[in-house]
Amino acid sequence: MIVGRRKAVILDLVLLAGLAGLGGFLLYRITVHLQYSWHWSRIPGYILRYDGEKHRWVANYLLLGLLTTLRLSLWGGLLAVILGLAMALARTGRSLYRQLVARIYVQLMRNLPPLVIIFLFYFFLADQVIPHLELDLHARQAAPAVRRLLTLLVAEPGSISTFLAAVCSLALFEGAYITEILRAGIEAVDRSQWEAAHALGLSRLQALRHIILPQALRQVLPALAGQFISLIKDSSIVSVISIQELTYQGSQLMASTYLTIEVWVTVALMYMLLTFPCSLLVARLEKRLARRLV
Amino acid sequence: MEHAMNEEEPESDIIIARNLHKTFPGPVAALVDFSVTVRRGEVLVIVGPSGSGKSTFLRCLNGLEEVESGSIIVDGIPLDDNQRHRLEIRREVGMVFQSFNLFPHLDVLENVSLAQRLVRGKSRAEARGCSLELLARVGLADKAASYPAELSGGQQQRVAIARALAMMPRVMLFDEATSALDPEMIGEVLDVMRQLAEEGMTMVVVTHEMGFAREVSDRVLFMEHGRVIEEGTPGEFFNHPRRQRTREFLRQIL
Ligand SMILES: Nc1ncnc2c1ncn2[C@@H]1O[C@H](COP(=O)(O)OP(=O)(O)O)[C@@H](O)[C@H]1O
Ligand SMILES: [Mg+2]
Repeated sequence: MIVGRRKAVILDLVLLAGLAGLGGFLLYRITVHLQYSWHWSRIPGYILRYDGEKHRWVANYLLLGLLTTLRLSLWGGLLAVILGLAMALARTGRSLYRQLVARIYVQLMRNLPPLVIIFLFYFFLADQVIPHLELDLHARQAAPAVRRLLTLLVAEPGSISTFLAAVCSLALFEGAYITEILRAGIEAVDRSQWEAAHALGLSRLQALRHIILPQALRQVLPALAGQFISLIKDSSIVSVISIQELTYQGSQLMASTYLTIEVWVTVALMYMLLTFPCSLLVARLEKRLARRLV
Repeated sequence: MEHAMNEEEPESDIIIARNLHKTFPGPVAALVDFSVTVRRGEVLVIVGPSGSGKSTFLRCLNGLEEVESGSIIVDGIPLDDNQRHRLEIRREVGMVFQSFNLFPHLDVLENVSLAQRLVRGKSRAEARGCSLELLARVGLADKAASYPAELSGGQQQRVAIARALAMMPRVMLFDEATSALDPEMIGEVLDVMRQLAEEGMTMVVVTHEMGFAREVSDRVLFMEHGRVIEEGTPGEFFNHPRRQRTREFLRQIL
């Protein structure tokens, strides 16, 4: 055992040394051959800046982008779960018509590139549906407190319509995966649980709500959390429709400052800030579930 | 609720099943022209080799399976296409499964209380009181806060019986309630069933426990290939079986 350990340690050291060497080589290539001049010191200013008029620190491009990504992910996630639940129930239900609708939805979403879905749906929503709600007009006329709350939770008055269209497009696309996760969870609950509920006189809806779904959700919680991580990452797609989330802000900043590597490394770290805690949560959930099932 | 059948049928018959046919894909004839009548307060034991259609019959009685033809009337309510009738029958008929089928995510108290609240509309406190009483009756008053996974098989099955009784059913169906149990736990479940029979509950019991059939039942029915082969009082059935096939079956099992 001890010998095995030591061998592993030596192997680890060799690997680490190799990685460090590779990293050093890359840095060398970038600095010397590309004659890249590092300007890390300018990055913090793009995260927070001091507002001389208001005499306080305010969020700058990158932090604003991060917050937008967070808002996109939370609303998109919520909507995707609602949509996914409805579709999973339709898919496992008794109505053939609803089964067909859910099946077509999932197939469409899974067989089209996300980018195409986003463009199609976004232009449909943004041009045809959402403008008629005149959300931004209402938002601008709302009381200052409401406006501040909207800005904090959704988006600034003026870009609410665009934001909503982006959230809907994202939810539509992620909802298909959540549908499949929930469907698998519902189908994993043993038939005998339905039968026991049925024999006690519970209606189908009561059985779903009190017996089947609680067990199904417990099974798929780690998968759902994992899908939420995907959603955070996939939210970068809506940068193509000019939602000012983290990736969009990163590309704007890169175009105006040429701090290519600094900006993208920072953006990557900021995404990690969102996704890494989720990953830890998934790991903990999986451990807890495993213990319960023993 | 119309109880139209009460006019024609004698009040004392609580289950009237006539000419049931049920075929599973295969095709497997699970029930073939199967007819049986159960009187109020009667304990009917059904025996037969594996695959003879015993479970199928019980499951048809509470609508878990659909019969292809024939008629079932439970406590005057016909089991037909009328969803109200079907629901009514499911509420009047309690069922205990071979594999217990407790709800693993709910504690024992909730297992017993849930349907009382959802189906009978009882308040939480009312359901709780009733559940604790029932759990005491099956000897598990101290397990109210346990989860099914923390109980032995015998204890789980007794909870399942309490859960079914909580709906105040007029008929209880037992589908091999002791077959999945370790031998030392069979007795505790049979005791609860015996007590229930003494209290006058109408019971249809599928079992391989011939001792139970002999002592507790009012009538024993032997079925094979979906048909009734022979039925009679336990005395007649065990001591003087009329059919050759029954004698062979009893020789194998006793
Ligand atoms: N869901 C089903 N699908 C197909 N065949 C079934 C199903 N349920 C029961 N059967 C068949 O019907 C016959 C009767 O089964 P069952 O009523 O379970 O018998 P028993 O309870 O007497 O052992 C058996 O041959 C069995 O294989
Ligand atoms: Mg059986």
